[in-house]
Amino acid sequence: MGDEIKEIVMSHMRKNIIANLLDRGERLDGRKFGEYREIEIQKGVIKTAEGSALAKIGDTQVLVAVKFEVATPFPDRPTEGVLITNSELLPLASPTFETGPPDENSIELARTVDRAIRSSEAVDLNSFYIEEGKVLGLFMDIYVLNHAGNYTDAATLAASTALIDTKLPKIENGTIVRGEYAGMLTPKAIPISTTLVKIGNHWIVDPSLAEEQVYDTRITIATTDTHVCAMQKGKGCLTKDELLSNIDIAFKKGSDIREILLSSASS
Amino acid sequence: MGGLKDVKLIVDGKRLDGRAPTELRPIKMQVGVINEADGSAFIEWGNNKIICGVFGPRECIPKHEANPYKALVKCRYMMSPFASLEEHGKSGPSRRSVELSKVIRETFQNIILVEEFPNTEIDIYIDVLQADGGTRTASITVAALALANAGIPMKDMVTAIAVGKGGDELIVDLGKLEDNFGQSDMPLAFSAREKKILLVQMDGLLTREEIEKLLDMAEKGAEMVYAMQVDALKEYYLKDEETKFKL
Amino acid sequence: MSERKIVVPGEKIAEGTIKMPGAYSEGGATYATLVGFIDETGRYVQLESRYTPTPDEIVVGMITDSRHAGYSVDLALPKEGFIPSRAVRITLELGDFIVARVRTIERGGVVELCEVRRLPKGKIVEFPSAKIPRLIGKKSSMLNILRTNAGGDIVVGNNGYVWMSERCNIPLLLKALEIIRTKAHKPGLTDAIAKFFQEQKR
Repeated sequence: MGDEIKEIVMSHMRKNIIANLLDRGERLDGRKFGEYREIEIQKGVIKTAEGSALAKIGDTQVLVAVKFEVATPFPDRPTEGVLITNSELLPLASPTFETGPPDENSIELARTVDRAIRSSEAVDLNSFYIEEGKVLGLFMDIYVLNHAGNYTDAATLAASTALIDTKLPKIENGTIVRGEYAGMLTPKAIPISTTLVKIGNHWIVDPSLAEEQVYDTRITIATTDTHVCAMQKGKGCLTKDELLSNIDIAFKKGSDIREILLSSASS
Repeated sequence: MGGLKDVKLIVDGKRLDGRAPTELRPIKMQVGVINEADGSAFIEWGNNKIICGVFGPRECIPKHEANPYKALVKCRYMMSPFASLEEHGKSGPSRRSVELSKVIRETFQNIILVEEFPNTEIDIYIDVLQADGGTRTASITVAALALANAGIPMKDMVTAIAVGKGGDELIVDLGKLEDNFGQSDMPLAFSAREKKILLVQMDGLLTREEIEKLLDMAEKGAEMVYAMQVDALKEYYLKDEETKFKL
Repeated sequence: MSERKIVVPGEKIAEGTIKMPGAYSEGGATYATLVGFIDETGRYVQLESRYTPTPDEIVVGMITDSRHAGYSVDLALPKEGFIPSRAVRITLELGDFIVARVRTIERGGVVELCEVRRLPKGKIVEFPSAKIPRLIGKKSSMLNILRTNAGGDIVVGNNGYVWMSERCNIPLLLKALEIIRTKAHKPGLTDAIAKFFQEQKR
């Protein structure tokens, strides 16, 4: 309880400092409004998974691992594979994360990243058919390891990279042969999410932890090369013009970050 | 899977992965890997990859659990659903992870100076990202580093190692297959200086003589692991350049 | 490259029973309980520690509750600090930053404060308490360098809260604090800070 009250009072005081700096065109950590913190990606970090990646944005670290299982298709889509996304806000990642089943923030994270991957059609679920009543299930686990702000963008980045890293399992007699593979997944799209927050009158990208504690409005926009594939507004509100302007920013940032992903994924 | 019961764990004096009976798997440790936790560390022990974050001493929640004489030590050991080469596991605690959380907590309750922080709690979070046998001893080893990194006072460092029997040989540092198909598995944790046993569990069959020999082997193995813990702390605290954390 | 010898918890640091912070005695010898090193004078210096308040020490905090009896103060400790109403003449508000002296520590862990002074508008940040001495420096040398270059006042609490006036160049100061945090106890800290501020002037 004490921590929550302290956070509420602390963020109230902090907001003035941050808002005043923004009025002068500055952010607390010296970044420009449209600038991301340093991005670092590691591919293939978990050997027990069919695909994996660790993405860092500043000090925020998110791990995504992909595993396959034989699954039962949905009755209305009997030949389509299934994609299941789960997320854990690990208690070691932040003093504000508690143990227990996923809370609304964790669930929102999983569903937002899932939406970006699914809508972009990065994974061709139609190619996951095995035989009658059996399809491949792709399980994507998002593990937030360190929460220093904006784990959403780090999670989407790790997820897209993990899919590039993913090997398809070999299937024999309707079962997966562990340790043997049938080529790479080769995702058809690389969605990147861009999160913006509004503090006072200013929109900034990639909020740090301090900025996340004081914002008025938050929006996450995921893009492919050509399309918006997911949007999720957090608390607050925005005008149509603000939304369109943020979408433009998301395409630009998405393109920049996609380049970073591809150059690190090729190593 | 049936055929594996006949697998020879020792062939020509060498174990399945080519190791000699008293040889340890390669181990790498890094301190201070995530900065939101009060203390943290990461370990790669063979193919195990385990991360540990520590918080505290902090307010005890729920308040009615607080002890006016000492800090409460709490531990959560969790296996990630992607940690196994085989199936995608369930999220959330299993009966095994509940038991391991308890024995790991009890290991550290011996060694943390809890009387210095009454009415508080100290939280140890251990997440196994990749598993290959011996996760509990690797977890204890990495948790000791995270506790030191968090500035939580301890009477001694804690080092852990598993010993046992496979293919009729006494062996040190059991891998997953040796764990599953060997004749006995005995994980141990020691206080570094006095070699007090802070954790001991065992399954399978061992004679008293075998156990005595194994305890000696474990102490020697633990000394090697301790030297690595000291190096990891030195690397983090006294080295000039910062080493980036790579999973 | 430092030739310092690291000291890890459990290592013997002295013969005999010597009472000192970060150590415990047993069986006629004294052992470290925290990771540290031995300095040039042979003294054991801790690299990590959890702050435990002692009477007379200066701390910095934030008011989190106001009741008839007094104020609750966040001190970055497991238990909050307390200021009895009669101990302070002005009325404090939720969110006010204060600097005060530790008067007593109750059995339950609540820290009672006295000589409370309200700090002007500004920001507080957490700084590892084991490294506070390096942040202050010999005779406040480091602190004065920071004050001069930041353009405003800074107050350091032993509890690990650092207050900086809103007149300071806060982004600059935060970067400087980060350098001190990562390089405390490593050789070359003073030079690194001097170089950092020199480069800012360009």
